[in-house]
Amino acid sequence: MKITRKITAWSLGLMAAVSIMSCSSDDNDDNSGNPDITQKPYVLSLAIQGSEGGFTYYTIPFENVMEGSLTAVGEGIDQPGYYDFTKVDNTLYSIGGLDNTDVSAISQNEDQTLSTEGNVSLSESIRDLVKADDETLISASIAEGAVTFRLFDANTVSITETIAKPTSDLHAATDANPSFSGMRVVGDHVFLSYYMSNPDTWATNYTDQAQVAVYSYPELEFEKVITDDRVGPLGGFNIKSGLEVDEDGNIYAISHSNPANGYSQSTKPAGILKINAGETEFDQSYFFDVEDATGGNNVSHLKYLGNGKAFVEVNTAARAEQGTWSDSPLRSAVVNLNDETVNYIAGVPVHNGNGRRLAALHDGNYVYLCIPEEGGIYVYRMDVDNYTSTKGAEVQANFVAGFFKF
Amino acid sequence: MKQLLVVILIWGTWFTQSVWSQDKKSGNFQGTVTTENKAPLIGVDVVLLQTGIGSITNAEGGYKIQNLPEGTYTVQFSYIGFVTQKITVTIKANETVTENISLTEDVTQIDEVTIRGRSKVQTVERQPYTVKAVSAKPFYNLSTDVQSVLGRVEGVKIREEGGLGSNSEFSLFGFSGNQIKFFIDGIPMDNYGSSLGLNTIPVTAIDRIEVYNGVVPVYLGTDALGGAVNIITKQNNNFLDVAYTFGSFNTHRAAVNGAYTNLKTGFTLRGNFNFNYSDNNYEVLADITDANGNIEDTQWVERFHDRYKSGMAKMEAGFVNKTFADQLLIGLTAAKDENDVQTGATMETVYGAIEQNSESLISTLKYSKADLFTEGLDASFYAAYNVTRTFNLDTLTGVRYNWLGDRIYTGNTEGEQGDRNDETMSDNEATTQFNLGYQLNDTHTVSFNHAFQYFNRDVNDILNPDKIENQFPRSYYKNNLGLSYTVSPNDKWNATLFGKGYFLKVETSKQYDFGTGDSRIDAYENSQNSFGYGVATTYFILKNLQIKASYEHTYRMPTPEEVFGDNLFVTANPELGPEQSNNFNANAKWEFEPAEKHYVQLDGSFIYRNASDLIYQRVTVASPQTSYANLAEVRTIGYAGTLNYSFKDWLRLGANVTYQDITDQADFVYNDYSGQQPNFQKGFRIPNIPYLFGNLNAGLQFNDVFTEDSNLSVNYFFNYIKEYYLSWAEYGSKDTKKIIPEQSSHDLAVSYSLKNGKYNISLECKNFTDQMLFDQYKLQKPGRAFYLKLRYAL
Repeated sequence: MKITRKITAWSLGLMAAVSIMSCSSDDNDDNSGNPDITQKPYVLSLAIQGSEGGFTYYTIPFENVMEGSLTAVGEGIDQPGYYDFTKVDNTLYSIGGLDNTDVSAISQNEDQTLSTEGNVSLSESIRDLVKADDETLISASIAEGAVTFRLFDANTVSITETIAKPTSDLHAATDANPSFSGMRVVGDHVFLSYYMSNPDTWATNYTDQAQVAVYSYPELEFEKVITDDRVGPLGGFNIKSGLEVDEDGNIYAISHSNPANGYSQSTKPAGILKINAGETEFDQSYFFDVEDATGGNNVSHLKYLGNGKAFVEVNTAARAEQGTWSDSPLRSAVVNLNDETVNYIAGVPVHNGNGRRLAALHDGNYVYLCIPEEGGIYVYRMDVDNYTSTKGAEVQANFVAGFFKF
Repeated sequence: MKQLLVVILIWGTWFTQSVWSQDKKSGNFQGTVTTENKAPLIGVDVVLLQTGIGSITNAEGGYKIQNLPEGTYTVQFSYIGFVTQKITVTIKANETVTENISLTEDVTQIDEVTIRGRSKVQTVERQPYTVKAVSAKPFYNLSTDVQSVLGRVEGVKIREEGGLGSNSEFSLFGFSGNQIKFFIDGIPMDNYGSSLGLNTIPVTAIDRIEVYNGVVPVYLGTDALGGAVNIITKQNNNFLDVAYTFGSFNTHRAAVNGAYTNLKTGFTLRGNFNFNYSDNNYEVLADITDANGNIEDTQWVERFHDRYKSGMAKMEAGFVNKTFADQLLIGLTAAKDENDVQTGATMETVYGAIEQNSESLISTLKYSKADLFTEGLDASFYAAYNVTRTFNLDTLTGVRYNWLGDRIYTGNTEGEQGDRNDETMSDNEATTQFNLGYQLNDTHTVSFNHAFQYFNRDVNDILNPDKIENQFPRSYYKNNLGLSYTVSPNDKWNATLFGKGYFLKVETSKQYDFGTGDSRIDAYENSQNSFGYGVATTYFILKNLQIKASYEHTYRMPTPEEVFGDNLFVTANPELGPEQSNNFNANAKWEFEPAEKHYVQLDGSFIYRNASDLIYQRVTVASPQTSYANLAEVRTIGYAGTLNYSFKDWLRLGANVTYQDITDQADFVYNDYSGQQPNFQKGFRIPNIPYLFGNLNAGLQFNDVFTEDSNLSVNYFFNYIKEYYLSWAEYGSKDTKKIIPEQSSHDLAVSYSLKNGKYNISLECKNFTDQMLFDQYKLQKPGRAFYLKLRYAL
C-alpha cells in the first residue's frame, strides 16, 4: 500500500483539534503541530491464518480503505489466538477467547499509532462487552450453572464487580444450557437474549419461543424471563446480534433460527420483535415480518444506523438449504424498522458471513464492510441512503474481525 | 509407590548379593587401546571369544571387563581401519589383568562391521545414514535423563513446559509429534504413555541413543516422516548400577539397573527400576489476579500444584549366546505416573486441582540369531503388547485459582478446564518387528523388514458417559514392509538402496445423520497404501574423512483420530491421505590429530526437507466444525555443525550449532469463509519453532586424585536458543509481537569416583545463572537448581 501525504479536509479539522489539545496539555509539539502526519482514522483488525490452523489478529490504522490493498506486513497490534473486537465510544476493546481470556483497550495516539492498555485476565471468555452507562461497561458470560456479569470501569479497563447468577433462572431443561446471543442495557435494566443448546452436541431442541432474561441495573438482580412465541429464539451462535437498541432506547430482537447460525432445528417463523423504551415486555403490536418483506428469507445480522433504519445481512437461502454453522449466504440490505421495508444494496455480491460479530463500520451515510469474493476480500462502501455501493481496497487477510473509525 | 521402592530394594539387595557371590571366583581385565603413535582409540570392540563377553573402549581408549570367571581366554581387539589383534590372557580370582594394546592401521580393511551393525557409537555413525549416536556413558554420573541427553544432539530441540514430568515436545529439524518415531531397543514406543516418557528413563539404564535424521534404515520398520530415535539399553551381561539423586524442588530420582548372566548356561536376568518424584515448586514470575480477574501485581511465586511422581519396573529373562538364539528374552514392564497440572496453554491459566495420571503394562519378546540355518543369515523378531491407560481428572467445580493459590469461586458448575470430566483413555497396542538380513558375500547384503502395529483406543468419561465422541472406539492396523540392498564393492564406499511399503487400515463405527430421524451407527473404515524409497551412501575419502549422502521419499500415515475425527466437531475425512516428505541429507566428518595428543573431530550436515500433504485441522472461521485434511507444505533447509576436541584424556570440548530455515510453501490456503485464497505466508518462516540453537560442553578430568583409581571430573554445559516469534514474524509491528526470548542456560557438574568408577558422587547446579527459561510461550521453566547424585556401579 502506498501511503500518500494527501491530507483531507476532515483530517485537517482533526489535526486542528489535536493541536489545540496538545498545546493545552503542554505537550511536546513536535508531532502535534506537524501537518506532515498522515491521518489514519480507519482501524481494521485483520485475521491471518497460519498453516497450522490458528489465527493471528493484527489491528492496524489506515488512511484510506478505498484504494490499494490493506496489509499487516510490519504493522499492527499482534494478537495470536481468538479475539473479538468491539468499539464503545472512542475506545476499541479486544476480547480474548479460548486460551487468552483477556480484555484490552486500544486507543489511537497523536502520531496515529495504536496503543493497548488492559490488565485483566479472566477465568472464562466473555461473550460481549457493551456500554452500561457513561462510566461503566458490562460483560456477560454463560457457563454451565451460571450467568456471570462483570462491570468494567470504562476509563481504567478494570473490573469493579463480578456477579454470578444461576442459569436455573432462565430455564428448566436438564438436557440443554442457555447460550448467549445478545445483550443490551437500557436505563435500569440489562436485557440478555439466549437460546438453549445441548452442552455436548450443541443441538437446539427448544425453538418454540424467543426468550430474554431481564436483570436490574446496576444491582443485576434477576427479575424475569420474557418470552414470545411468535418467533423462535433470538440471535444465534457467536454472532451476538440477538438484540439491538435505537437512539430512543427501543430494543429490537432478531429471530431467524438459522441452521447457518447454529440451530439444529427450527419450529417458528423468523422476524423482528420490539421492546419499547422503558418497558420490560415485548410489544405485542409490533412484528416485523422479515420473511414477508424479503420473500421468504430472514435477517441474521443487524446494525442500527438511526432514524429507524438498520443495516442488515439477509440470509438468502431457505433454512433447509443452509450449511450448518456456515453463516451464509448473505446479502447486504437496509431495513426500515418502522416501515418494515427492505432495500438491498446494489453491487454487493452475495457473500459468506464469518460467523462472528458483524465487522461493519457505520460512518455518516456509509456502511463499510469487507466482502469475500473469489480471489480476495474487498472493502465495500455502501451508501445507506441510495442503496448503492463502491468497491474499495483489497484486504490481505483471511477475514476481517473488526472495522472501526477513530 | 512405596511398594515399588520396597521391590527395588529387595531386588537390589538380592542382585548385589548374587554378583558378590560370583565375585569370589572371578577377576577383572582392563587396559587401553591406542594407535601406534599412542592416540587413544574410541569404540574398539574388545571381545572374549570363548564367552562372547565384550566391551567397547571409552573416550580415553580404556576398557574394562569385570567379574570374569577364572580361566584362559582369547581376546580380540577389532576396529574399523585397523588390523584385528588377538591375545591370550589368564584370569585369576580377585586379580586384575591389565593389557595395553596398540593397533596397526590397515587402510585396506573396512570390514563388514558396518553392515552387521555391531553396537557401538562409532560404528553406528559410520553407516551411510545421517545418524548421531550419543553414548550415555559420560552422563552416568550426572543427574540427567534420556530427554536431556537427547536435547544436546544437533538438530534436536526438546521443548519442555515446566519441570520434571512436564509435557514436552521433541523436534528434529522442525519435525515433531508423530512425524518422528521412537524405539527402545528397536521396539516402537510411540504409544507407551507418559509414565514411560523420555524424561522418566534414567541415563544409567541406557548404553546410547541413535538419532536417525530424515532417512530411517529399513530395520526400524515405521512410517516416520522426519526421522527416528532408537534408545539402546545397556546390553552388558553382568552389571549393577544403583543411583539416587536428590535436589531442588524436593526432587528424588532413584534408578536400579542390572543384569545377571550365567556364562555357562546362558541364562540371563535383566532388570530396570526407576522412581521419580518432584514437587516442582520452583518460582515463576506470574501475574496475580484478584477475585474479579484484575491483574494486581506481577511477582515471584512458588508453583503450588505441580507435583510429579512416576515409577517403572522392567524385568527380562531368557538366554543369550546359545545355539538356538543369540538372544531370547521375555520381558514385562509396569509403569505408572501421577501428574498435577499447574497451568493451561500459558501461565495465564492457573489450575489447582487437575490431575493427569497414566499407567502402562508392556510385555515383550525379543529373539535374535546370527547365522541362522546358514552363515550370513541373521534374523531377529521383536514383539510387544502394551496396555496404557491415561486418566484426566477435572472434577473440582465452581472454583478457579490464582497464582497465590487462592480459591476464587465462580458460581458456575464447570471444572477448571470447562466441562468437568473424569476421563479414562485406554490404549491397546500390539507391535511386531521382524528383520532378516542375508550377506551373500563380502560385497552384497540384502535385508528385509516387516513391522506390524495394531492400536485401539477407547475413551470413557464417567461424569459424561453419553459423550458422543467417546462412544466409538477406533482401531488402527498398520503394516510396513521394507527391503534393502547394500553393496560395498570396496573398502572405501558402500551404498544402500531401499524401498518401503506402508499399508494402513483404520476402523471405527460412526454415527450417520446425527440430529435427524435417520440417525444410525455403522462400521466405517479407511485404507491407505503408499510406497516409499531411498538411497544412502558413504565414501571414505581418507580413512578419517567420511562423506555421506542420503535421500528418502517417506510417508507418515494418518492416525485414527485424524481420519475419523471425534464424531462431533471434528468430522471424518475419508479422503485423508498420508503426509509425505522428500528428505535429503549430506554430511561430512573429519577426524584428525593436529598434534600429538590433540584429537579433533569436525562434522557438518546439510539437510533439505520438502514435506507436503501435512495434516492439520481445516481452518474454519464461521463454524465450530472442522476436519483433518492434507493441507500444508513446508520446506526445511538446515545446517548443523559439530566440533569435538580432546587433549590427552583430561580435556574435552564439544560444541554444536543448528540452523533451520523452515518455511511455509503452500500456494493457497483455504477456509470456510473466504474459500481458497493465496497464502499470504508463502515463503515466510513458520513461527513458534526455534531456528537457531546450539550447545557447548567442556569437561576436565583428573585421575588418581587423593587416592589411586579415583577420578575427578568437572563438566560444564551451555545451551543457547535465539529468540523467536510466537506468530508470523513478517506481520504486525515488532514492539507488539509475542516472543519466546533468547536464552542461555549454564549447567555445572562436579563428579568424583572411587575404585575405578564403583562409587560415585556428583554435585550439579543447573541453570546456575538463574535465567528465566522458556521453551514455550509464557511457560516458565525452573530457575537455578542443585542436585546431588550418588551412584554405585559394578
